[in-house]
Amino acid sequence: MAVESKSLETPLPLAQAEEDPREHLMFDPRPREEMNRMVMEAMTTTSRRYWAWVIGLALVVLVCLFGAWGNMILTGMGLAGIRRPVFWGVFIVTFVFWIGISHAGTFVSAILRVFKAEFRRPFTRASELMTTFALAAGALYPLIHLGRVWVFYWLIPYPNARWLWPNFRSPLVWDFLAITTYLLSSTIYLYLPLVPDLAMARDRTTGWRHAVYRLLALGWRGTEAEWHRLRRAINIFAFAIIPVMFSVHTIVSWDFAVGVVAGWHSTIFGPYFIIGAILSGVAAVVSILFVLRSTMVHMDYFIRKEHFDALGKLLLVFSMAWAYFFFNDYLLTWYGGEETARRILTFHATGPAAWVWYLMLICNIVIPWLTLWNRTIRRTPWAMFIITLLINVGMYAERYTIIPLTLGHQRMPFDWGVYTPRPTEISIVIGTFALFLLLYLLASRLIPLVPVWEVQEGQMAHTLRRVGKAEVPSVTELE
Amino acid sequence: MGANVVHLALFKETEIDHAAEAIARLRTLGVSDRDISVISGIPYSERILGRPMTWTTIGRIGLAGAVVGFLVAVFLSFGTPLLYPIRVAAMPFQPIPTSIVVIFELTMLGLLISTFIGVFVETISPSFGPRGYHPKVSDGHIGILFSSPAHAEDAVHAALQALGAEIVHNVEEERLWP
Repeated sequence: MAVESKSLETPLPLAQAEEDPREHLMFDPRPREEMNRMVMEAMTTTSRRYWAWVIGLALVVLVCLFGAWGNMILTGMGLAGIRRPVFWGVFIVTFVFWIGISHAGTFVSAILRVFKAEFRRPFTRASELMTTFALAAGALYPLIHLGRVWVFYWLIPYPNARWLWPNFRSPLVWDFLAITTYLLSSTIYLYLPLVPDLAMARDRTTGWRHAVYRLLALGWRGTEAEWHRLRRAINIFAFAIIPVMFSVHTIVSWDFAVGVVAGWHSTIFGPYFIIGAILSGVAAVVSILFVLRSTMVHMDYFIRKEHFDALGKLLLVFSMAWAYFFFNDYLLTWYGGEETARRILTFHATGPAAWVWYLMLICNIVIPWLTLWNRTIRRTPWAMFIITLLINVGMYAERYTIIPLTLGHQRMPFDWGVYTPRPTEISIVIGTFALFLLLYLLASRLIPLVPVWEVQEGQMAHTLRRVGKAEVPSVTELE
Repeated sequence: MGANVVHLALFKETEIDHAAEAIARLRTLGVSDRDISVISGIPYSERILGRPMTWTTIGRIGLAGAVVGFLVAVFLSFGTPLLYPIRVAAMPFQPIPTSIVVIFELTMLGLLISTFIGVFVETISPSFGPRGYHPKVSDGHIGILFSSPAHAEDAVHAALQALGAEIVHNVEEERLWP
């Protein structure tokens, strides 16, 4: 009893005391005019460093992506390291990686919107933009992987000159349909909530910017009817795009799982891929938020430590979920005792490329579990940047383990081989990373990256209510 | 009776209670709901401002798109094998499990695209009621657009100004979209 009363009387040191709710964006409102000005300044301010990055990345895209790809088209697919027994190399690895990254936007924007997670408000657009550009980068890979890219239209379902209708039973057609559906719907989902902010930009710009925003804002005035139909459409999208998101990565996983390839033919591949995609996507959102916060003016008002904290908790949960699915897949394969599958597991852990497998485990499990439980680390943006970059390195290693390392060690020992990516492949992969960054960099100066109306709506709904001697955060349902 | 003139009363968003009161006051002065339109920088539900419920057909347009997508998918999955037969060993000619994937994707595609088309069509189509705009709206003001007979102008203005409104006379319709 004495101990208890002593602990009650002892005041907590400042660091341990409860944080001031006004540190949260929702409880630190500023006039709408000021927030508009901040977002517009962030969008229109460019430095020499910005242009140096744009030019540098454009050159990398030109040389590494289009140059290397063009050379491969002219010379032949022999420039790539894919050959018997590994016909799916880093092109497919990177394809799966980008499709995974693209899940971030939908997850952050749609799922958190459906569950009314208020911390999502300032960065929904930044993550939706990631989805669109990641899909654009990823969608290049089926074309690159085709080899004969000039007949790419054979992928499109229409009866060709030989009167062969595409086989709708083929997972390749599913892929085409799923990625097209997701790309179109996520682009529209990016655009719809953008319309009121484009109207805001229209009212504050002149010249070519005004002309562009005026066209894209569709004559938005903000009438009750316009808001009503926008909200209805966003709600339909938020609910409908979630199953589409799940279907896309499930179908990507089925590209592997429907084949009777040892190590791939697993019923758990669908959810395993989805969890991995969400883990890598949310990690990429954190990385992007750090860059935006560090490089764009006024972004530190909108993107705060609380956001890194909240996303860090999500990452920890998804890292655990990923570990669960990984272990599920591993244990049952190992316990099943099927010789080829067990040999593949041994090959992953002890073969010449075993470091990739350990890198995957360290980056996806060890690092998040050792760091993200700690609130101080979660609230340190640069630490979160490093952790999330490492998570994505781990997720890339996971796809590399699943695809070329598994393919190189199948049922026939005479057909075993180790795949090594060639300079052309590495160059193309670097090129698509540069393309993603370039598109993002350009978009950051063309569209308002913060949905101002959503932030203001959230700030209006949040108030501090006095209960006894404390000021308690409370949220009002305004819809 | 003189012609109706369109006016705009601007309220700061912090004075939303006054804006709601102003709408009620306009009604008592004989301005019908049909002749009032509220424009704002963030969405307010009808009940906050005491306005009649707004209807939209977007949900129905989306549903119609989903049905079209479903029918196209059924045709592609079950119709095209009949038109252009491809026999794959040990695979049924019209398999249901694989068709579910195609049907799901195209149904969702139909739903989402038609929802967007619905928004686009409803947004750019002409709307009825008073039109007008002021850039202050996206800077944190609530605008109440209303049309009232010219002879009632003074009474209406006085009532709204008493509630803190900034009045813009004879609002011209701005061309906001090409």
